Amino acid sequence: MKVAPFFGCMIPIKYPQMEAAFRRTMPNLGVELVDIDGFTCCPDPIYFKTKGVLDWLTIAARNLCVAEEAGLDLVTLCSGCTATLKEAKFLLAEDEDLKERVNERLMRVGKEYQGTVKVEHAVVVIRDELGIERVTESVVKPLDGIKVAIHYGCHLLKPSQIMHVDDADYPSILENLIAAIGATPVGHDRKLLCCGKGCLDGDMPVEMVFDIFTSIRDSGADCMGLICPTCFSSFDLGQIVVGRKKNTKFDIPVIYYFQLLGLAQGLAPEEVGLNLHKVKADRILAELAGGEAQASA
Amino acid sequence: MPQEKEKHVTIDFAFRRELDQIIGGDHHNYCYQCGACVAQCPAAQYSESFNPRSILLDALLGRADVLLGPDSPIWLCTNCYSCYERCPQDVRPIEVIIALKNLASNRDAAPSDVATMTENILKTGVSGLITPAVQRIRESLGLKPLGDYPVDEMLKILPDEGKQP
Repeated sequence: MKVAPFFGCMIPIKYPQMEAAFRRTMPNLGVELVDIDGFTCCPDPIYFKTKGVLDWLTIAARNLCVAEEAGLDLVTLCSGCTATLKEAKFLLAEDEDLKERVNERLMRVGKEYQGTVKVEHAVVVIRDELGIERVTESVVKPLDGIKVAIHYGCHLLKPSQIMHVDDADYPSILENLIAAIGATPVGHDRKLLCCGKGCLDGDMPVEMVFDIFTSIRDSGADCMGLICPTCFSSFDLGQIVVGRKKNTKFDIPVIYYFQLLGLAQGLAPEEVGLNLHKVKADRILAELAGGEAQASA
Repeated sequence: MPQEKEKHVTIDFAFRRELDQIIGGDHHNYCYQCGACVAQCPAAQYSESFNPRSILLDALLGRADVLLGPDSPIWLCTNCYSCYERCPQDVRPIEVIIALKNLASNRDAAPSDVATMTENILKTGVSGLITPAVQRIRESLGLKPLGDYPVDEMLKILPDEGKQP
């Protein structure tokens, strides 16, 4: 199948390892990624939307028009982009007058929003369009014995009325994707807690990150697995900052799902950019290498 | 009777009408103060100053001084959408809070990060800074360099070419 990736800003600029992992793993699932030129920031659903909802919606609609012109559905990798583009579609479908207002603005650049392309996060495309068994079939080095504490992040799931991804209280999509690569999903008390990054106040997110990592430490997981770059920024560098403030060290590697998938597909850690993370995944990599040496002995 | 006088409530309907004009702001009218939004709200769990039901009550009363003032609780919202998920009245409390943030931004009462991030996006088309270091890391991963973004086209669809987003 052919889809157009919408990478947004944070992944290509701040965490390009996520883009690399995605570009290297999706073809192994039988997906052809067709890059489209002409996108801007989605725009971001926290700051830009705070400044002006109508402008936020108009720019989102323009991005959707670019995909419509190319005739390709969008696959998103960032939960923020997913939230913006899916909510824009929802609002423009819900309110005809609003759609007209936005289209009046888009007319200035010769565009008209129709609402003809689908927007889905990559994990949803895998589950619903490809089937999770496709993931298992692509695995050459299963991540046996690796315990992954899942962090969902808010915007993949909520509001479920718009996102249509999973039960927002009892989701299973990421557990199933983690199990499909041979790793063991580990539940923990704070699995669904917000990372706090969207809060424009400094103190509260520290407490939230602290509680999430304490909960993961108690769960005995080897790493955290997630699908959102914003959460990643709260957790990779974030756990170090919070650890310093709280006089503790978590040392729990935070790994984007497509990096884990890449390892399972036999890619080297550098090919999925694990070396770029602040909290290194050395213990997991040694465990995987050890398991392999044992298997071949 | 002084006691009865204290019970007197004034509603600022002009402010509520202003809120109605922002996308999502009009849904504040549906709130019947049930408090379903509070239980799962992380900001309410982590801060005594934040309560989405109280914010909605202040919106219903039109209390601009509380909601848009320097100590407004709206900036503690974590944008998690739990309240949207829970609300039985389709108030979409977070969208009302965002609409209130829009009104605060219009009055220059938003935290400075908001203007900084917005200006970056309007100037470059993206939210992050594309430095030579970024391009080098991309190259090391075998990724194409990042190029230009259609900033002019993006600005043309904003009311006055992006000066007042």
